[in-house]
Amino acid sequence: MKISNIKKEYEKFTLSIKSLEITNSAQNTIVGAESNYPGYVGAASNCPDNGQYKIYGIIGANGCGKTTLMKIMAGIISPSSGTVDYEGLTGRDITMIFRKPYLLHDTVINNLTYPLKIRKIKPNSEEIDILLSMAGLQDLKNEYALTLSGGEQQKLAMIRAFIFKPKLIFVDEGFSNMDIESVNLFEQYIQKMSNTTWVLVSHQMSTIRRVCEYVFFMHKGEITEKGETKKVLDTPYTKELKEYLQYV
Amino acid sequence: MNIVEQETIGIIVLTLQMTLLATAMSCVIGIPLGLLLDKASFPGKRVVVLINRTLMAAPPVVIGLVVYLILMRNGPLGFLGWLFTFEAMVIAQTILITPIICGIVYTASERSAKNIRAFATTMGANKIQTEWLVIKELSNEIYFAAVAGFGRAMSEVGAIMIVGGNIRYHTRVMTTTIALLRNRGEINQAVFLGIVLMIIALLVQVIAGALRRRERRTDENF
Repeated sequence: MKISNIKKEYEKFTLSIKSLEITNSAQNTIVGAESNYPGYVGAASNCPDNGQYKIYGIIGANGCGKTTLMKIMAGIISPSSGTVDYEGLTGRDITMIFRKPYLLHDTVINNLTYPLKIRKIKPNSEEIDILLSMAGLQDLKNEYALTLSGGEQQKLAMIRAFIFKPKLIFVDEGFSNMDIESVNLFEQYIQKMSNTTWVLVSHQMSTIRRVCEYVFFMHKGEITEKGETKKVLDTPYTKELKEYLQYV
Repeated sequence: MNIVEQETIGIIVLTLQMTLLATAMSCVIGIPLGLLLDKASFPGKRVVVLINRTLMAAPPVVIGLVVYLILMRNGPLGFLGWLFTFEAMVIAQTILITPIICGIVYTASERSAKNIRAFATTMGANKIQTEWLVIKELSNEIYFAAVAGFGRAMSEVGAIMIVGGNIRYHTRVMTTTIALLRNRGEINQAVFLGIVLMIIALLVQVIAGALRRRERRTDENF
């Protein structure tokens, strides 16, 4: 996926990304980002873009444009200008999990199997049981989904994304209401899921450090720093990232 | 007590026929219009919404008068010969309740459809699946709109009196009969019909309640 010269203008905020590229395949991995931001470190040599990355993180303070960028990449909103090149991926290959996920006015099991239903795929009961069990929802599968707790709703949204095996998954604060045990479980699952590229937004630096191989830092609607997670978080370059890391 | 027997049954049947037909027509027009009004973006949308909201509270006699002027012998549709007929009453009712159904659906859609469409996009749903999901997820609100429209149509007097004329065995419905009986001083029969009207309204609510999706929401965070 490659986005170029994206702008999304709101009354008090403008997202502006010169370019961002995430292409992950067995043969070739490209991660690229360009920015017009003064002092952008993408061009600096301390952040090489030559690794085989599968899980990316986007970090930044509230209101910096992380969710807007994700929504544009996931095709949920259109940019005011610029292009999004999905490079062969279709809407059925991409999904996004929100902090407050949308759950159908239906049972847990019908929520879980909805992506299969619209693809006319017969649910595999064994796989469903494994996923429900992983989310601790096996005894609640016939319950009305909106009666679940916040953490359970997030877990349901997470396994609902797993079930149809998309190639690109965006997670916007998708672990924020989960208990530590569940977070660890899902982190492990994410790392095991082959053929899927992940882009996570989180303020939990422990999750970003443990899971993400590559990270983008955003400030006021622009990517201002990027690179391999450990390098970026251990040796922040810009003043904004240094300040951000002090408070998270 | 003749009116309570054969004629009353005819009046109840005619009332139900008129109300059901007008509600069905209003649903066919008002539900897609409400969804479309929310989804579409065009100059003057606010004005259209304002007009619809005004029509939601339009005085029935005014609507009746407009329909009368359209259907009268010298009116634009006078050639149809529908004035003082069942058709005229259905048209007046439809005009009266379509904005109500459209307005309720629009408000519900404005509140939820954006999130439903975003969710459908993330699940890879196509356009038809997405719009079907919006209707399915808003089904309770749509039921409510239809029931509200039905209730308004059934309780209506002014518009159908003007365009129907309250003609015996022809355009006389329950509400116009109640008004007539009161004028004649036949209060007992008027009260009887009023009770029947209330029972029908109750039955409609019971049926709608049985059809609507069972929703159990909780604000508790366990």
